[in-house]
Amino acid sequence: MNSLSIIQQLMIEEFGLEASQVGSEANLEELGVDSLATIEFMFLLEDKFKLRMSDNPVAVKTVGDIAREIDRLLAQQQAVSAASN
Amino acid sequence: MRRVVVTGMGAVAPLGNDVRTFFEALLEGRSGVRRFQPSWAAAEYSQITAPVLSELTQHFTKLRRIALDRVAQLSLLAVKESVSQSGIDFSEDAGESAGIYWGTSLGGANSLETAYNDVLVTRAARLKPSTIVMVMNNAATGQIGIEYGIRGPSYTFSSACSSSNVAIGEAFRAIRFGLIKTAVAGGGEALLTQGVIKAWESLQTLAKVDPNRPETSCRPFSADRTGFVLGEGAAALILEDEQAAKQRGADILAEIVGYGNTTDAGHIAQPDQGGQARAIKAALTEAGMAPRQIDHINAHGTGTKVGDLSETNAIKQVFGAHARNVPISATKALHGHLMGATGALEMIAAIEAMRCRTAPPTAHLNNPDPECDLDYVSEGARTLSKLDAVMSNSFGFGGNNAVVIAKRYVP
Repeated sequence: MNSLSIIQQLMIEEFGLEASQVGSEANLEELGVDSLATIEFMFLLEDKFKLRMSDNPVAVKTVGDIAREIDRLLAQQQAVSAASN
Repeated sequence: MRRVVVTGMGAVAPLGNDVRTFFEALLEGRSGVRRFQPSWAAAEYSQITAPVLSELTQHFTKLRRIALDRVAQLSLLAVKESVSQSGIDFSEDAGESAGIYWGTSLGGANSLETAYNDVLVTRAARLKPSTIVMVMNNAATGQIGIEYGIRGPSYTFSSACSSSNVAIGEAFRAIRFGLIKTAVAGGGEALLTQGVIKAWESLQTLAKVDPNRPETSCRPFSADRTGFVLGEGAAALILEDEQAAKQRGADILAEIVGYGNTTDAGHIAQPDQGGQARAIKAALTEAGMAPRQIDHINAHGTGTKVGDLSETNAIKQVFGAHARNVPISATKALHGHLMGATGALEMIAAIEAMRCRTAPPTAHLNNPDPECDLDYVSEGARTLSKLDAVMSNSFGFGGNNAVVIAKRYVP
């Protein structure tokens, strides 16, 4: 799954950013999305995708980093689910 | 010691979102008290408040609001007006020689109540990550620093109703003694939440609601007074070293000349005439002024039975025979009790009164109390031929008393 477009849309809705600002390579700090806002956003994504973040979350610096982390967790979750079936 | 001047003022209050609108409403005797009737509010006491009616969120981006409680939003807006009027620039070295002196009694009360509701009622597994930095009492102080790059000392004062008068007084001293050149001083309060209102309701210090004219329910110094009305808002003053202000060509609005701060050491909630009188005397001493030189007092005047009587007697104790000659205004009748922000808002009212030589009224004083027998300007706003020095009193639960004196600036 590629979560990038969903994440971009959520960033527009939650942070009031423009579509042109939230490209894959856009730097979160430069967008004004600081560490607190990032954590809040990751919590939101956990609820949205029904995921649990790792206890040792990877550092995310760009919009694309968030998407890659979510995609990795989704794949991991699907693998666990397939194995248990 | 250095002289300390006021070069900017800002207010977001129940009567208006800027100093001019606020003060014009005061002079006209308009009340900011509104009906407030959620099912949980006791009909007798708490179905009135003095809220800030305008929408605040439009002033901040969604991203900025993630970590801004309502009290921080109110505070930032008041500071914005004061900085704009002052024309001061905190960039470069100016930011390092400037401090923040901010008062609040309950800080981020809205965020705290939301968090408790999420955890205890809706059983949320986790809270907003920004909860702590929105709730903490110094949140607004820190946000002011971030917004303007103010990098000198910062203090958050929490002494209930006197918090922001303490903030102004301590900022005044820091400049007077040469520790800093500039200060943002004032306070913010946003505590109109269910939990806080219910707590005040139990304390039985809130005004009984007049069913026919609820906006007149707070009646300081009147024989039929029953208490105060909870309000919210923020007020800010820019204080500067006189020389620094003159060097940059700032307009000087007033000069702060004296500050008194005392502790009753008696009861946690009951006012003490002696403690109040000592604070008034201390402010006069620092100002090097005699009581007869004070032309107007903005009273703490909450409208409680014991508080107004105590303040009346404290003024008499210090002013002696001159007490009856001083026009005293209790503006809480109109703007409500802004708790940690009220001292700064009333200091602004006192300075504006001096600037236009007109004392605002003590509204709703229709039944004189024989024991409160001073001149409370009950007939409406009064123009005065001489209004060159003002005193503003703030007395807080916990027994803290803070009094600040300002004068018309004479180079």
